Parts: sequence; structure tokens; C-alpha cells
Amino acid sequence: MIKFTIDGVEVEAEEGQNVLQVALDNGFDIPHLCYHEALEPYGACRLCQVEITKGNRTRLTTSCNYPALEGIQVQTGTEKVIKARKMVIELLLARSPNVPVIKDLAEEYSVGTPRFTLGDDDCILCGLCERVCREIVGVEAISFLGRGSDRKVGPPLEINPQTCIGCGACAYVCPTDCIKVEENENERTIVRWGRTLPMKKCKVCGRSFAPWFQLDYFGKITEGIPSDFWDKCPDCR
Amino acid sequence: MEIVEPTNVYAYKLITKKDYFAPGHRACQGCAEALAVRLVAKALGRNVIVASATGCMEIISSPWPFTSWRVPWIHVAFENAAAVASGVEAGMKVLMRKGKVPKKKITFLAMAGDGGTSDIGVQALSGALERGHDFVYICYDNEAYMNTGIQRSSSTPYGASTTTSPAGKVIPGQMTWKKNMPEIAAAHSIPYVATACPSYPIDLVEKVKKAAKIKGPAYIHMLSVCPTGWRLPPELSIKAGRLAVETGVFPLYEVDHGRYRFTEKVEKLRPVEEYLKIQGRFRHLSEEMRDTIQKRVVEEYKKLVKKVQMTQGD
Repeated sequence: MIKFTIDGVEVEAEEGQNVLQVALDNGFDIPHLCYHEALEPYGACRLCQVEITKGNRTRLTTSCNYPALEGIQVQTGTEKVIKARKMVIELLLARSPNVPVIKDLAEEYSVGTPRFTLGDDDCILCGLCERVCREIVGVEAISFLGRGSDRKVGPPLEINPQTCIGCGACAYVCPTDCIKVEENENERTIVRWGRTLPMKKCKVCGRSFAPWFQLDYFGKITEGIPSDFWDKCPDCR
Repeated sequence: MEIVEPTNVYAYKLITKKDYFAPGHRACQGCAEALAVRLVAKALGRNVIVASATGCMEIISSPWPFTSWRVPWIHVAFENAAAVASGVEAGMKVLMRKGKVPKKKITFLAMAGDGGTSDIGVQALSGALERGHDFVYICYDNEAYMNTGIQRSSSTPYGASTTTSPAGKVIPGQMTWKKNMPEIAAAHSIPYVATACPSYPIDLVEKVKKAAKIKGPAYIHMLSVCPTGWRLPPELSIKAGRLAVETGVFPLYEVDHGRYRFTEKVEKLRPVEEYLKIQGRFRHLSEEMRDTIQKRVVEEYKKLVKKVQMTQGD
């Protein structure tokens, strides 16, 4: 057990945990957009910044990828932290002025109209979709492209991602809802990646329930399941 | 988030692994209500204060000297879960204003069974919804007073045999129709009303998160299959929940600021027969009564479709 303090309250952490994780477990309110407990921390959104004192040195750092260490003191709401967070929110708001989550944050921290040129991209480059595709789904259909101000997330070469199984995990995890999934009787489209997959119909009830490509993929990665298992929808199995 | 539930297999891996409703409680085998409570606790996380009315969930989660709750939890009488939750909310607001409690986002959850909601607690609930407290009310509807021995409530569906509406020579089970509680809540013009079912876990978690996020009162009606009271094999409780949705008996929808939306679209309803025949409480039903139920279900579903079309149009 590692013991340290957050805002003067002593907390306990296990080996390998990060500061943000421990803080959230203990009910501290630290805003964050690019952190998900099932995925590796990435430190992209910079919202979870806190002041950490280790020994004689105090510094501002992101808590999502800072390891919980014995005896450190974490401050989540000092003047410096709030100032840094406000700056981050202002930058995020300038990049994506139409996202409700960011608008709510701006209201909470009383950030007005940004001083910077307004963008219109809803993607904040948090990298959650890319990480979920790589770590959880394991198909790596999308990744970061370009550098600097041209950086974005998308399929390789920005053409129809051939490995995407259309599971929608990226849309589920996206904090700003900029990845949309559209579905009708015959096909499912992941709009942002430009991937359209034809849907398979259940042999028993005739409703379409999943893309052909996805079920083929499941058939490949699972063993010992009879092949007709994937012909029926979950309700008819 | 409009994700088609059964195929989004990876979303399940993204629900938190932490349990705030601990295992080892005394629910019956196959209890879908305990499952629902667990998912709700997962969705709301650490900063929550729960007021729980008397009912199954109170007796199974807190037999002295144990408790299953890893978050602050208050047990209250049958009728006043909503009143207590609104009191806690008002109290915390004042404490935060005076600086005695650090300011943070806390969700206030009131939960009760169908008896505690639609029979005994309806006036406390109505009052709390009307006053506009920022809280979430969840009704776990297992369609009778299960913990005291399966007595009928106003939420018991037509034709169901319970201990106080036994099917026999005199009456063929419950003779009244199920009270439409979500519509009663929606009639208060509150920001958020939804129906959910633990057979659709991602849908449930998303609705609870949304309800907690919205400012003002939110009401969620949760169909919780009760294998004991419904005379159903425990392994079929998830299937029964899915059938309830697929047959149109319990459609999944939400009312977000007055706008109706189906969260689980059923293009072609399955026959109600499929849902009724697996449950022992309906086994006495005559052909005629089944037809009556089928007709009513389709009628209610059509009404809902109309509401969706009407409010989504503009």
C-alpha cells in the first residue's frame, strides 16, 4: 500500500495506480476527457492537471499519468491549477466551440469567448478512439495521422479502413460524440471513418443484427463455437 | 449514444470494473433487480447518496450486521424515498453553500420497488418531481410486492396470478391493467424520463449516466424480472427481459425534455404469447385473455410510436 495525501486527506493506493485513478476512487472531482480506466493513460487533454509536491519540489503535472508515490502531496484546486485548467479549457473551446461537454466545462470554470481563432472540429485529439481500437478491440483500424497542427485521427491514408469491424467502440468511448454510427436495414456506416458494412440478417427472425465482416472476424478469433452460431441474432440463439 | 446494443460487444469492456454494490447479498437466484442495482451503482460511481425505500433491495442488501453498499446509503420507510432524497439534496446544497462540505458533484439517488413507487410512494415522488430537486429516482419494477410474498400491486400486469389475486374459479388472476408509471412521471414535465431493463445493460448504464448529468429531477423505470414471483426458471430472467422488450410489453424509450425517442427500436413486434408462455404466473390464461393482452400491447405501442413521431418532428 502506498500512502499519500490529496488536498490534505490521506489516501491509499495500490502499486501501479496513477494519481487520477486514486483521486476519483476517493471521490475527488478532477475534470478529465482523455482518461478511461480500461485504457492506458495518455495525457492528451491536460485537464486533469494538479500540483504535486515531491520532496522539496512542487510542479504542475497531469494526474492521469503520474504514478502514485509514497509521501507525495497532491493539490487539486490551487490558484495555479485553476489558472492552468482555464487556459486548457479556453484552448479546447477555441478548437471545438460546439461540443456540449466543453461548453459545460467553460461555464463551470467561467471561461468566456476564447481569444483565439475559432475552429469547427468536434474532435479534440484525446486519442480514446485510437486506444480503444488498439487495446480493447485489437484491430488498429485507425491511428493518429500527420504532425503538429495537421494532426488528426483517421484510417491509414484516409481511405476506407479495411480492418474496421464496425463495432462502434470508438463512438461509444468518444467524449465529444464526434464519431457517429448510422444504421439502416441493410448497412451500418461509421461516418467519420467512411466505413460502410453490409448487415447480416438472422436466419430465424429475419432482422439484421450485425455486419457480415464483424461476424467473420468473431468466427476467426473464437474457437469451438459451431459455425451456425453466427447465423442467428442474440435473441434467437 | 445510439449504439445497437447486442452487437457492440466491446462496450461491455468499457464499463467500470469497480463494484459499489458488493457481491454476497441475499437476492434469489437469477434476480435481475440485483443486477440492475449493480449496474446503476457502477454507472453513478463513487459520489452518490442513496435513499432506498423498503423492499427487496433493502432486505437483501442490508441484513444486520452486513451491508452490500460501498456508498452512503439510507434506508427509509416504504413511502418516502423521494422525500428523503430531496431532503438530502437540499441539505447538501446548503452545507456546500456554507462551506462545511467541499463543493463537488454529488448524485442523489432515490430507489424503490414498484409498490414503493406506484402505490405507497406516489405522492412523495410526485411532490419531489414537482419541486424540481436535482435527483434521480429509479423504480425497480418487479410487478408485485415480492419481498413480502408476492402480493399484487398497481404495477402487476393484467392476468398475472399473485397471492392476493390468485387465479382460480372466481377470478383469472389480476383483473386490472398495469399502471403506466413512466407516463405519470413524464406528465410532470420533468427533464428526463426513461425506461430501462438489465437485459440491455449498456442502454441502462447510458440512461442512468444521462439522468445523473441532467440538472433537475429524472425518473427511470426499470423492468426487473423476478424469477421467484413470476414463476420462471432463474436462467430465463435475462431472456424474459429481452422478450418483454421485443414483444412490446415493455418498450425501451426515453423522454428527454418532452421529446420521446425509442432507444431500442423493435421494427416487428414478436407475439406476446412468447413472453407469457415462459412464466408460471400466466399459465392459466385462456386464449381469449391472451388475445386481449395482445390487443392492448399493440394499442399501447402504437400510441407510443405516435408520441415519438409527434415530438421528434420539429
